[in-house]
Amino acid sequence: MLIEVWTKEKHSAGEEAGLISRLAHAGLPVKAVRLSRLYKIEAPFPKNDFARIAAELLTDKITERYSLSVRPGLKKLYRVEVWLKNSVTDVVGESVKEAIHDVLGKAPDNTRFGRGYYVACGCESRLKRAVSTVLVNEIVNVYGVTRGKAKG
Amino acid sequence: MANFETLLKKFTKLSPKELVQLDKACGWSLNAAELTAAQACFRRIRREPVRGELETIAQTWSEHCKHKTFSGPVRFRSKGKTKRYKNLFKETIVKATKALNKPWCLSVFKDNAGIVEFGKNKKWGLAFKVETHNHPCAVEPYGGAETGVGGVIRDILGVGLGAKPVLNTDNFCFGRLASKMKLPPRALPPERVFRGVVEGVRDYGNRMGIPTASGGIYFDDGYLLNPLVYVGCAGLIPVNKIDKKVRPGDLIVSIGGRTGRDGIHGATFSSANINSETSPGAVQIGHAINEKKTLDVLMKARDLNLYDAVTDCGAGGFSSAVGELGAETGARVRLENARLKDSALEPWEIWVSESQERMILAVPPGRLPALEDILNAENCEYCVLGEFTCDARLLVTFNNETVADLGMAFLHEGAPNHEKEAVFTPSAARRPAKKNNRPHLRTLKELLAHPNICSRHSVITQYDYEVQGGTVIKPLQGRSGDGPGDAVVIWPHSVTGDLNDFAGFAAAHGFNPPVGRIDPYQMALYSVDEAVRNLLCVGAEVSKAAILDNFCAASPKNPEVMGGLALAAEGCHDAAMAYGAPFISGKDSFYNQSKDAAGRQYPIPLSLLISALAPVEDIRKAVTINFKEAGNPVYLAGISRKGLGGSVYEEIAGTGDNLISAVLMKEAVRLYAAVLKAMKRGFVAAAHDVSQGGLAVTLSEMAFSGELGAKLYAGGAAAEKELSETELLFGESPSRLVMEVVKEKEQEFLKLVKGLPIRKLGFVRLEPVLDIQLGDKRLLREDINILKGLWKRELL
Repeated sequence: MLIEVWTKEKHSAGEEAGLISRLAHAGLPVKAVRLSRLYKIEAPFPKNDFARIAAELLTDKITERYSLSVRPGLKKLYRVEVWLKNSVTDVVGESVKEAIHDVLGKAPDNTRFGRGYYVACGCESRLKRAVSTVLVNEIVNVYGVTRGKAKG
Repeated sequence: MANFETLLKKFTKLSPKELVQLDKACGWSLNAAELTAAQACFRRIRREPVRGELETIAQTWSEHCKHKTFSGPVRFRSKGKTKRYKNLFKETIVKATKALNKPWCLSVFKDNAGIVEFGKNKKWGLAFKVETHNHPCAVEPYGGAETGVGGVIRDILGVGLGAKPVLNTDNFCFGRLASKMKLPPRALPPERVFRGVVEGVRDYGNRMGIPTASGGIYFDDGYLLNPLVYVGCAGLIPVNKIDKKVRPGDLIVSIGGRTGRDGIHGATFSSANINSETSPGAVQIGHAINEKKTLDVLMKARDLNLYDAVTDCGAGGFSSAVGELGAETGARVRLENARLKDSALEPWEIWVSESQERMILAVPPGRLPALEDILNAENCEYCVLGEFTCDARLLVTFNNETVADLGMAFLHEGAPNHEKEAVFTPSAARRPAKKNNRPHLRTLKELLAHPNICSRHSVITQYDYEVQGGTVIKPLQGRSGDGPGDAVVIWPHSVTGDLNDFAGFAAAHGFNPPVGRIDPYQMALYSVDEAVRNLLCVGAEVSKAAILDNFCAASPKNPEVMGGLALAAEGCHDAAMAYGAPFISGKDSFYNQSKDAAGRQYPIPLSLLISALAPVEDIRKAVTINFKEAGNPVYLAGISRKGLGGSVYEEIAGTGDNLISAVLMKEAVRLYAAVLKAMKRGFVAAAHDVSQGGLAVTLSEMAFSGELGAKLYAGGAAAEKELSETELLFGESPSRLVMEVVKEKEQEFLKLVKGLPIRKLGFVRLEPVLDIQLGDKRLLREDINILKGLWKRELL
């Protein structure tokens, strides 16, 4: 199950401006971006357990929203997912796994933490170059760029 | 080419060429002499080694653990003269500390950190350590910075029987963010490194609940491929917990994180240049929450006397930590007892893994149950790896398989060390006679916006520098809390528990690689002088300053690199003696060079960070940099001297001036003593050192931080004859500071400083304008809000 969490639009201007500036620094002028946190949770839990994890554990209700699938309404933008390689210890993922155990009384098999970026730009190859320059370190990260739907 | 397993089986019979092949295949970074010494050892005992033994030797003899360059013999040649050192470190840095023999130095150069006396009642010691984590940060900035912070915190947890951290420090060197240089494959752009390092330091320090409050950032294209990341930690320890001694029979207990494959060969990695084949396995991943649990366990167990000794698992992992603690006793280790992240680990990998957040304790068997109670209560994992013995041997097994069986004496004293060549060719000093016509105001504006001078608020505000509630003088100062501080002052009441004792300490740094490019000896003097002066600016007792050296350099195989190092080490000795400031700890990092996109070696400039601590008798009397009250007179202490060599002005103007004025240490010490007296008597309302950007930048920062203007007459400054306007405004000659003196105390102040080069420049005023004149000529005049706007640019 992929849980996606993002800042409500009225609070997200600062983080979006920061990302636009970083992409511009890497030679990619973009007009609009959105940012998300991604939690990949491998567990044989019913859907309402995942909804509880998302609502009670991973989301600040005042400033954030969540989705149990890919964030809706951004199909026209490129979607970039960045994850740590499976061989790299994921400290945030481990902490979330322990927290899920505390909330539900049962632990998932595996939890990984990643980041999602939605970018409005015209060229996928330039986006990839910019992403590999400022958003990922390919020694420890894997990433994918898709448009219109989520990768995997 | 034979594979390494085949080579390993006939190790004692290998030719020198095959030894080098084996070393490369296994990633040990041992040199030919070390490989031959290891081979000779196994020939003597008439058996072939197992891999774990050679791994142990490689870790123990690595540059990171052994510091074989700095503590080795050196032949230095310059100007036709030759000087030989048997041990460069002992004959310079350590020699000064021994000669000074300060009674308030409680533990120096023998433990994980240096310790000095703290507080009035002599119940506490203050431990301080600064480490570098350069190579890991070049490969993975976030993880490298996190584990750098985690490692230096563990040094403080592992000094004596454990100190409680109260301050983290951070100093970074990066390539210029706007650099146009083409980078080689796999090299990360400087913006990426900068951001990753800052986030790593932020996340680890904040999650551990330790204020990150003191540091600096320096940009130079010399650091494009090899960033420098200096991380430090200071902590308090009861004086009766400083001594530790392992006893035969003590159990070897590992607490904290589990052992995994992460970070294998990190120690040997520090003995090698970074190239495109650098293994991702050298990347380490930090887990601050695990370290916080370890900290909490240690503090409780320490106070209950539940262990005899402790040290951290850093570079080399179990092999270094157990080897170090058991150096005088011997140790028997059963690796099957280790708690693992990954059950597929080879035994030798368990032995040398540098997985983070692990501490090794020597626990008397009878006290283990009480320790286990605390570990379980804190949800902190642990395992009993074996016991310390009395046979002076290191025996490591995994079930019935021998991983290592070595004599401790060979391990710790068997490393050969050859004499290194060091040369230095001084360059002739040049001071262009041609007058420079750059408008002073334009220069000031460029300087304020320069990346090496502008505000660091976008970095500093990411750190929780208020946690523990003891940061009395903060890294950002002034009326709006956004001016640049010279030093921080910490009141560690959260550890002492005494709210009636207002004793604190100040921490500051000095760093001058541009001066080092011209004269490494003067660089050391400048750095010590700057660090001490920064302490003085907050009112710290500089006669009790304790300092740390952290050298970073390129390959020591280059005689010119070694020449610079030898001169800087001599400078450290002379400065320590003159300022009466002993070195209490230090570290060095070599091989900071990589191949650039064209395949050429790209070395860093010789870089020496001096970190300094000094007591503040009463934190309520500490001083900040910002102007406080209109009408107060402004004084400049120290003589402005000729030369713009190494200055930021020279960098932007490019006049070819490489003249640097020598530090006059005796005069500086006399001056600082008088200034401190004035501060203690309440005569000084604000103080700020004159450093990067010179006098005009110092005055601008004091003005806009205080939201007050100033009318100043630069002709009043004590200055060398024939000093140019540019040198007066933007020169960076050492040992100077600007003070705002309380108007009502001015006469007493003048009486106190009579005979010293302290001269009135002008006065603070309400109109928010910085106005500097020389005689009848106006040098510059500008609204302080405009100056502040230029200075307060976003770096991140």
